[in-house]
Amino acid sequence: MTALPSGTSSPRIKRPARRAWGDALLAWSARGAAACVVVLLGLLLFVLIRAALPAMQTYGVGFLTQTEWRVNSLDAPIRDAAGKLTFDEDGEMLTRVSPPVYGAAPTIYGTFASALIALAVAVPLSLGAALFLVRIAPRWRLATAVGFLIEFLAAIPSLAFGVWGVFVLVPFMRDVIGPAAKGTLGQISLLGWQPFDWLFFRTTIIDGVGVRGEIAINGWNMLTGGLILAIMILPIITSIARDVLRSVPRSQIEASLALGATWWQSSVLMLRYARSGLFGAVMLGMARAAGETMAVTMVIGNANQISASVFEPAQTMASLLATEFGEAGAEQRSALLFVALILLVMSLLINIIARYLVVGSAVKGSAGQ
Amino acid sequence: MATASRTIRERITRATSAAMFGVCVGFSLLIVVLLVMVLVYLFTRGIDTVSIGLLTQLPTGDQNEPGGMLNGIVGTIVLIGLASAVGVPIGVLVGIYLSEYSNDRFLPGPVRFICDVLAGVPSIVVGILGYELIVVPLGGFSGWAGAGALAFIMIPIVARTSEEMLRLVPRSFREGSLALGATKSQTIFRVVLPSATGSIVTGTLLAVARIAGETAPLLFTAGYSRFLTTNPSEPFPSLTIQIYQAAQSPFPAQQRMAWAGMLVLIVLFLILSISIRLVAQRSVRVAT
Repeated sequence: MTALPSGTSSPRIKRPARRAWGDALLAWSARGAAACVVVLLGLLLFVLIRAALPAMQTYGVGFLTQTEWRVNSLDAPIRDAAGKLTFDEDGEMLTRVSPPVYGAAPTIYGTFASALIALAVAVPLSLGAALFLVRIAPRWRLATAVGFLIEFLAAIPSLAFGVWGVFVLVPFMRDVIGPAAKGTLGQISLLGWQPFDWLFFRTTIIDGVGVRGEIAINGWNMLTGGLILAIMILPIITSIARDVLRSVPRSQIEASLALGATWWQSSVLMLRYARSGLFGAVMLGMARAAGETMAVTMVIGNANQISASVFEPAQTMASLLATEFGEAGAEQRSALLFVALILLVMSLLINIIARYLVVGSAVKGSAGQ
Repeated sequence: MATASRTIRERITRATSAAMFGVCVGFSLLIVVLLVMVLVYLFTRGIDTVSIGLLTQLPTGDQNEPGGMLNGIVGTIVLIGLASAVGVPIGVLVGIYLSEYSNDRFLPGPVRFICDVLAGVPSIVVGILGYELIVVPLGGFSGWAGAGALAFIMIPIVARTSEEMLRLVPRSFREGSLALGATKSQTIFRVVLPSATGSIVTGTLLAVARIAGETAPLLFTAGYSRFLTTNPSEPFPSLTIQIYQAAQSPFPAQQRMAWAGMLVLIVLFLILSISIRLVAQRSVRVAT
């Protein structure tokens, strides 16, 4: 709409030849820069795929479901049928060497689970705040101030939340939330069966026997990671939801009020009208949560395991990369790059779907007016 | 208004509405309180250790007398400078392309989409790309790799904001310029760009603020160095990595330095954000 048609020139005035080079220079510089952008994406995909290829060839699609991530080789004794240790002619114990095995399942689970916790906490808060910003704050003349505060929250580097998490949230989880949860949920007993038993105890299999142990809540766990992520995605979801709700035509709200709707009933109408845009906002928050590295790495405990309890340490794809990439050997590095590829594809998919939903909703909103 | 309703269902509906109204106000209050709590905590923990010495001294390597953060501060400034030197021209050129040449044959649509795609790449993945592309061939961490990773993050942001700001320039400006006989490049450089300069600068400053706070891309590209250096060919210090390492140290003196560094970073962010917003409001008023 504001673009010039290419090759614009005044019909009667001949452009002096010596000035024509300016047009060509700018046009080709601009095209070159645009080509750079395409090259950057191509480079990203090419480099990642090439470096992840060894791991992709070794593990294939099973990488996504393999639940063990072991960087070192295991030297396990070979036992005979009776379970006794075996020895060779020289009296040396026979052992089986298991090479390192890499699997992405724990980190994929960790990424999704922590993002889910973050969304469960952040979405209600964000939608409530967005409704406040669109419907209540303007009447109280608080719209700019609160809006600015939330945008400032978005601009704070994640490292700040990571540092705050390490020194404040982790001890809080260890000293307050953990004991409180144990004292309330852990005590609930329905006719001898404890429904929240899985939160506080885990059964480990040692030598074929299940050993039941209590989970020590030391503060570095999946729940802390999820809470930190919730704080980080609050501003994104709030500001996009606010924009989406603003694009709901006033006529819809006025019509509902004229029919006698209460404040909440007309708000529900707003939410329902804008639901695809709101879903897009939530997905953008999810994309941010999935890609977040620093804050999560510092509080999640960095344990490559899938565990039922949120009070156990965990690992996301981003935190795995941040902690292990620095000292990885060749094979491990290839596996890590495979994980990076999975993370990239996941983030891009969520982003693309989210943008499609948000843009679609904005178009619908303005068309409805 | 209808007469006072006496049915229970209507009473419940009204009570629900009032309750949810309160919930929305309460949630917003909660978010604001959370933000203030985090900021206040960072401030109070860091304020004791912040001193002129923190800003002007170098780390001593002694875990109990950590010294200052000068190398990190200078390092971040150099990294931002290098990244902007590459990122801003390319980003603005892409913005010009998307705005002024948007009916080119087949490039503009995909390029706009790819800009959005690149903006969504997790920063740790950008760092890994920088590692594979620059650190491995050069044989070690370097400031160049760190600046490259930051530029990668910067380009899509600057491109999209520049494009949006350029599109806000009224079409009549361009048409008037062309009617007076100017060429397309003259129109862009002497009419369109000058009108949009304020907002483009704002967008660029926001992108600069964003990369100043990044840690993950620098982990495996610039690495870290305890020394004050301006040579980008060796492992390069940055404020964010310095804070990250100090925060993970078991020594209380180092942890105090992490708090203080965090405070410095947040204060800089606050100043930058407020001033950018003030400049933006002023330039918007001038433009309209």
